[in-house]
Amino acid sequence: MNEIERDDQLIAAAGGLSTEISPERDLWPEIAEVIAKPARSRWMPMLAQAAAVVLLIGASSGVTYLAVKEEPQLVPVVVQDLRFERAAFGAEHTLGSVYRSAQGDYQSQLDRQLERLSPEVRAEIERNLTLIRDSIAEINAALKENPDNALLQDLLVNSYREQHALMRRVGSLTQRVMARKDI
Amino acid sequence: MEALLTAPVSDYSPRMVALNTPERTDEADWIARAQRSDARAFESLYRMHIDKVYGLCLRMTGNVAEAEDCAQEAFIQAWNKLDRFRGDSAFATWLHRIAVNSVLGRMRKSKRETERIQVAAEMPSSPASVADSGELRDLADAVDRLPQGARHVFVLHAVYGYSHEEAGKMLGIAAGTSKAQLHRARRLLAQQLEEQGFEA
Repeated sequence: MNEIERDDQLIAAAGGLSTEISPERDLWPEIAEVIAKPARSRWMPMLAQAAAVVLLIGASSGVTYLAVKEEPQLVPVVVQDLRFERAAFGAEHTLGSVYRSAQGDYQSQLDRQLERLSPEVRAEIERNLTLIRDSIAEINAALKENPDNALLQDLLVNSYREQHALMRRVGSLTQRVMARKDI
Repeated sequence: MEALLTAPVSDYSPRMVALNTPERTDEADWIARAQRSDARAFESLYRMHIDKVYGLCLRMTGNVAEAEDCAQEAFIQAWNKLDRFRGDSAFATWLHRIAVNSVLGRMRKSKRETERIQVAAEMPSSPASVADSGELRDLADAVDRLPQGARHVFVLHAVYGYSHEEAGKMLGIAAGTSKAQLHRARRLLAQQLEEQGFEA
């Protein structure tokens, strides 16, 4: 028997093999159990995936947009020479703690410096300071009656500024910030 | 040898799809009802085709448990895809394609293929060979020991009568590859059977 004859016989023999074989057990109950369950829509997973993709693209695009467009945070500019601007003070407004603290420092420094000055100069300085303090007291008294008067407020701020300028000149003190808590 | 490898398709007509007229009438009715989600009609289709589907699964896997799983999966898939069956081919052929896909899918996932070959080699008689009589059992055992690619082509082409084009389409390979695998299968089978003193 040559190779071709052998292969012919092999194929012929293979054609005799059973094509129908009964399983050793009934496979239907398990199939029936599976197909009895409500079928999942085959569109749902695709829709869910599509929604997830859209969400992902949207989120990543948003993050990218913010990363590209977000401007750098503004660095606060420190104003070296603080200037008092015209401001409206209400009836409840009082001097801030920072101002009062600076005022105390100036006063103690001033007292020490005044001791070194001649009596004439010291008297002149104290007279000027008294004028300013009297002015401030009068303005504050007027503001109690008319707390929203812009002119009085302006005068008050200028009086504080002059008072401190004088004290600074006398004592060569470090510039301090005069503040009112509401400015 | 070359003549066998290039044998006309008509030499191997499919053996699985022939149904007599009364059965076809019933089958068409069951299909129509099953397409309307009639589980009882689908059970009738199952009873009608289970031996063919299970036989194919057993021949291709050579393992009872795998074959049972594949057959069940094939019918579940068929139920889920039933609305897409338009009758362009015989229902049995359509089921066979699903069953082959089920087998291939499980084979890809399963790491038991190597174990299966070893077990088959140690077994005096494979489960599939039980269905065969006499000297054909030796051939069935030898088929079970074939490597996966050669075995699948041999089963579809030589046992079930599909052409190389049909077998290749089912297995996702070219017709030429199917022919090459058949040649390999014949050579390996001849060697095995010669060692066993088998005469066709």
